Amino acid sequence: MNQFRKTLLSLSTAVCIMGLTAAAQAETLKIGLAGPSTGPVAQYGDMQKIGVMAAIDDINKAGGINGMMLEGVVYDDACDPKQAVAVANKIVNDGITQVVGHLCSSSTEPATDIYDEEGILMITAASTSPSITEKGYKTIFRTIGLDSLQGSMAAEYILNNAKPKRIAVIHDKQQYGEGLATSVRDLLAEKGVKAAMFEGVTPGDKDFSALIAKLKKENVDFVYYGGYHPELGLILRQSAEKGFNAQFMGPEGVVNSDLAKIAGKASEGVLATAPKSFDQNPINETRVAAIKAKGEDPTGPFVFTAYAAVEVMTDAMTATKSTDAEVLSDYIREHDFDTAIGKVKYDEKGDLTESTFLVYRLHQDGSKTPAE
Amino acid sequence: MSEFSLYLLQQLINGLTIGSTYALIAIGYTMVYGIIGMINFAHGEIYMIGSYVTFIVIAGLMGMGIASLPIILIIALVVAIFISSTYGWTVERVAYRPLRGTNRLIPLISAIGMSIFLQNFVVLSQGSRDVALPPQITGGWNFGDPSLFEVSLSYMQVLIFAVTFISMTLLTLFISRSRMGRACRACSEDLGMTNLLGIDTNKIIALTFIVGAALAAIAGLLLGLYYGVVNPFVGFIAGLKAFTAAVLGGIGSIPGAMLGGLILGVTEAMTAAFFPSEYKDVVSFGLLVTILLFRPSGLLGKPEVEKV
Repeated sequence: MNQFRKTLLSLSTAVCIMGLTAAAQAETLKIGLAGPSTGPVAQYGDMQKIGVMAAIDDINKAGGINGMMLEGVVYDDACDPKQAVAVANKIVNDGITQVVGHLCSSSTEPATDIYDEEGILMITAASTSPSITEKGYKTIFRTIGLDSLQGSMAAEYILNNAKPKRIAVIHDKQQYGEGLATSVRDLLAEKGVKAAMFEGVTPGDKDFSALIAKLKKENVDFVYYGGYHPELGLILRQSAEKGFNAQFMGPEGVVNSDLAKIAGKASEGVLATAPKSFDQNPINETRVAAIKAKGEDPTGPFVFTAYAAVEVMTDAMTATKSTDAEVLSDYIREHDFDTAIGKVKYDEKGDLTESTFLVYRLHQDGSKTPAE
Repeated sequence: MSEFSLYLLQQLINGLTIGSTYALIAIGYTMVYGIIGMINFAHGEIYMIGSYVTFIVIAGLMGMGIASLPIILIIALVVAIFISSTYGWTVERVAYRPLRGTNRLIPLISAIGMSIFLQNFVVLSQGSRDVALPPQITGGWNFGDPSLFEVSLSYMQVLIFAVTFISMTLLTLFISRSRMGRACRACSEDLGMTNLLGIDTNKIIALTFIVGAALAAIAGLLLGLYYGVVNPFVGFIAGLKAFTAAVLGGIGSIPGAMLGGLILGVTEAMTAAFFPSEYKDVVSFGLLVTILLFRPSGLLGKPEVEKV
């Protein structure tokens, strides 16, 4: 009897252990994906999702990370700072320790506090505001260049290539747009080019005819716009109607096929600093084909930065055999990564050491080509 | 003409264009207030729905291969007016009529609820992104000396003036000459008494909402074509501006709403013309406060007399 009991016990223990290992194998390693899937800039969230999901598919096909399969979990912050905080807390509660996101700088900023405190590794594929990495966080990185780099790149292009007679700098009074516009204006002023106008518009406004008449009166032949595509689209459209034909330039916030939809022909030839078109890089040929095979669009500016964010995370996890954010962060700071956006190397703050931007000319069919 | 006066003329044209559409939307607020003494906060959303219907109809008709622009626009106008009026009537039926006679605050809250409902209803059914329509009416006249400043007046702007002017004239004739218009004026003077005299006031109030919604639909069509972009949130800002115009001109007064709209539009354009354009709203709302301080009932409003 005693013997029988022992056997039963050991048998049931064995079953238990087997059950546990089976459970462990079925368990996936979750990667949080935070960004807008609703709201006016939801397209950018889609780009990020396409990139992350493509990376996860590729890695899972190659056998996963340390024997675990990856799974992407989408969280919607609608690009709203308040919702971003709620999303960050939800991610903490869901026990996720790796996050790609957030997307809009204004949402990323409040969320980073939470991630850093809770020991979650966050890599943003789209937020370019310099202040995000300035607080000395340990676990916050990005796979995209900084705003300030975009500003200096734009200023350089204006001075050396565009050489306008009179320039106006317009912005949308928001952190991203006004920050960039101010840096462009100041950099130009340093080189002795004074902006004829420096003005803000109200986001959500639909009528810019008064502003355009003023630009026309000032004989401006070049306009730098710091902001997003809905307002610039209307400014372009109304400028064309009023016969105001200056060259427009904007940051990557205006690079969106909706710009062409809103402005039509008027969007032809607009300049913009945008992340390099990684989808045209030969190293990404198979990845582009895989995304296209799923019926998705690989051309968005954040698709491959998001792809690279997953690569950086998973490379670090494979190398360290750990999912601890501190360990991973140390590893990421000390090593180079070969990713979809080329060689990636980080400085102490968690920023890329090389800019990922290039000046592009946008076309009315929504495509873009490198500017001459 | 000198460069300065040409520039001034251009800004005046810009201001009058935007002002006319403010006026069209403002009439909806002012008529409802004039008759039942309440603010219809869902009115901006009716305007937004008018824009959406226009876009859908134009895209649909073009998809069906109809190429004649005037026919497309007329069909779009009729459909937009019909659907918006239905919404206007429904708002009255659902959010106002059951609450008539209660504390004034209650229908106000239900109207705000209606506004939020309609906004989110459109977000869910049409998506929250900007919907764009390619320019339909392009071109215009340019005059003035090109070496100084060229004033442009687009066909679209002329169309906005013309349609606004025609709608305003028709409305004025309707109110002052027709039987229904007379009933409206009677309701506005004394709702209870009018009812006693055998006029179906329920019908008149519903009519007021329908007429206001029809004008909002016209504004929705015009501004939709002019800007070429619509999203579910345009109604809020447009409604706020139109409401301001109605208060500025004297809420309850139809000529007041027209005047208020034009003043607001021109003030905005002139502020943007001579100051940084971010001060546009500061100046127009500053003007509103100033006028209300000196004339609390607005420019053309009648001071409210407490009835004994």
